[in-house]
Amino acid sequence: MFIAGIDIGSVTIKAVLTEGEDLKVFSITASGGDYRQAAEAALSDVLAKAGLERGDLSLVAVTGHDAAGQTGWQRVSEITAQGLALARLFPEVRTVIDIGGQATRVAKLNLGGAVTDFAVSEKCASGSGRFLQIMSRVLEVPLADMGPLSLRAKTPVRFGTGCAVFAESEAITRITEGHSREDILAGVHLAIAIKVHSLLQRIQPEGACGLTGGGALDVGLVKRIEETCGFKALVPPEPRITAAWGAALAAMRRGQ
Amino acid sequence: MSGFYYAGVDLGSTTAKVVIVGDGIVARVLGPTGAEHRRTANRTMAEALSQVGLCLEDMAYIVATGYGRINVPFADRQITEISCHGRGVVHFFPDASGVIDIGGQDSKGIKLAQGRVVDFVMNDKCAAGTGRFLEVIAEALGLTVEEIGPLSLGAGRAVRISNVCTVFAEQEVVGRLADGVPVPDILAGLHEAIAGRVSAMFARLKMRGRLVVTGGGALNVGLLKALKDKMGQEIVTTPLAQFAGAVGAAMLAKDLDEQAQKQGRPLKRGQRKLEAVTFFSETGRV
Repeated sequence: MFIAGIDIGSVTIKAVLTEGEDLKVFSITASGGDYRQAAEAALSDVLAKAGLERGDLSLVAVTGHDAAGQTGWQRVSEITAQGLALARLFPEVRTVIDIGGQATRVAKLNLGGAVTDFAVSEKCASGSGRFLQIMSRVLEVPLADMGPLSLRAKTPVRFGTGCAVFAESEAITRITEGHSREDILAGVHLAIAIKVHSLLQRIQPEGACGLTGGGALDVGLVKRIEETCGFKALVPPEPRITAAWGAALAAMRRGQ
Repeated sequence: MSGFYYAGVDLGSTTAKVVIVGDGIVARVLGPTGAEHRRTANRTMAEALSQVGLCLEDMAYIVATGYGRINVPFADRQITEISCHGRGVVHFFPDASGVIDIGGQDSKGIKLAQGRVVDFVMNDKCAAGTGRFLEVIAEALGLTVEEIGPLSLGAGRAVRISNVCTVFAEQEVVGRLADGVPVPDILAGLHEAIAGRVSAMFARLKMRGRLVVTGGGALNVGLLKALKDKMGQEIVTTPLAQFAGAVGAAMLAKDLDEQAQKQGRPLKRGQRKLEAVTFFSETGRV
């Protein structure tokens, strides 16, 4: 059976197509202003990639922003979706960290990949990928380059603030003081890692830890999180799509 | 009147204020802090002194406050912003129950009872609830901070901004603009949002009665209205609101000196050093 999983983010829509539980194709498209429209477009896109049609689908699952309650689409929470996907990829995973564009989520999983506890930080930009986007603009470094650059830092800058708005000003000051972009970037990653660490403390993490979401693409951030939290993170090959995939998994398992 | 003069220096992160009190406030100066704090302190003090034709030695006691108070070399004592703000507000409004100070980068709630500071809350961690929130979003709307207050008063219906975080609120505002919501309605919603944030931050102080708004936020009519509506109590300010800290510092200098004289134990002055550049004649009056 073919299942589509759609993760509606504020910036991008991730869509996957699975055959049973196996991931077949995925697509990542812009969210734009109209989530409902963008979700439909993402679905069409991923079907086209798989050479399938709407009629071939047994189920459509959706997570992230609620796409104006599309009838027939099964709603799955982001936390549940990430848990299932990470457990599927890494059976030993018991803790999941999801660093999204606007929010960071952490969850504890049981053996089956079901969430037993979780915590979310979604009110403050500095704990999420948004902070990275702000700094990418301020430092004039493309997002994709931030990780590798920060790995070359000699002495990470210690930000005096945990707020993305104040940090933006602080970064500009550091630039005029002559600090390298590498050091400032490492400081940004460190600031986020500290936020992640304190969020994790709320659920008392245990066991192997998976790290996913767009933020997991940033090797510099991954490293700082590992150092700050004291573990080696398990990162999916394509961390942006695990929520969409997990949504499909959830829908499938519910049906059984 | 004792005939003595007292000076209060409030060296903030953005602006520096000096107030001289004798028989009431006799001099006041406000200027940008800039990068060199000591130079700013010296210059601002010199300007205040020249307003009344006095020199530094004429000041019976000098208190410095604010973010840069350690950089006022001629001060006799440094006192915290909380104490000075509270004292300054009490000077203008003797029956005030509390102060809401909304600065450029922080905000403070100061609870007063019988003219004294009894409790306070400060936020300097999160840009929301500070002047920065308004600055960021004003810029996103292509407006200045000075314009948004008056403009917001023309709102038909304030739009509700659901995000607390400055970054996410900015995003939301841009979305609203794209939806065609009138700018005054957005601005009213914005002021409501910051008033809500401020009110929540200071809720635990349980300040009832008359509240005085100080800091840059006091200049914003939209914010004052939103605070009145949100908190449901008397919200007042004075055109001299920005000087609250400096006035308080000068008044505390006076209080301390008068108390010391009563006890027959005169206060010890500081070295009254003027570093970097000397603005005063060393022999006498300017």
